[in-house]
Amino acid sequence: MADHEKLVFMVTHGPDHPEHATIPFVMACAALASDVEVVMGFQADAVCIVREGEAEHVEAKAFPPLTKLINDFRELGGTMLVCGPCLKGREIPEADLVPGAQVVAAGRFIAEITSATNSLVY
Amino acid sequence: MDTTITQPTDLAGISAANVIDARGAACPGPLLEAKKGMGTVAVGEVIELWSTDPVTKTDVAAWSGKVGHEFLGALPEAGYDRVFVRRMK
Repeated sequence: MADHEKLVFMVTHGPDHPEHATIPFVMACAALASDVEVVMGFQADAVCIVREGEAEHVEAKAFPPLTKLINDFRELGGTMLVCGPCLKGREIPEADLVPGAQVVAAGRFIAEITSATNSLVY
Repeated sequence: MDTTITQPTDLAGISAANVIDARGAACPGPLLEAKKGMGTVAVGEVIELWSTDPVTKTDVAAWSGKVGHEFLGALPEAGYDRVFVRRMK
């Protein structure tokens, strides 16, 4: 096992696709519980699921509610990065995001991905 | 991954330092409860995790191998499994 492992999960699906919005959080929480550093990146419609209150309406059958998973992810120490242009295009202000979500642009995503053990795209 | 499985007869005699009831929780809930529970016991002690999710025992076995704990095995009960893990670090 490497001394330090890091996974990046790039999420591109929003509330209209509950499974695709939920499963990356399931995987990310399992990774954090396995002592792996995790960064989640939200692009395209996925920026909507980290808008405060939006996850309350998202639940995939047979999985925990998305709100619980987001809370677990934050408690376990995961990092959430949100695409700035994707927010701007949807007129979502940064102040509307869940606590801990950071607005970034492509350069930061690339820095995270290139420094990761592996990256997954949902 | 450590695949050593304690015999069921041995598992039944284990006195866990913490019994965690994760029945009804969906993936990854039981795993997260195991992670939390491990922090409540001393190195060398055992947690016992109850789960109604049939894949929890294999999931926790994989997790134990990954993070360095000892998966002892699972005992089936009516509608749920009792999963035993020893804290090793």
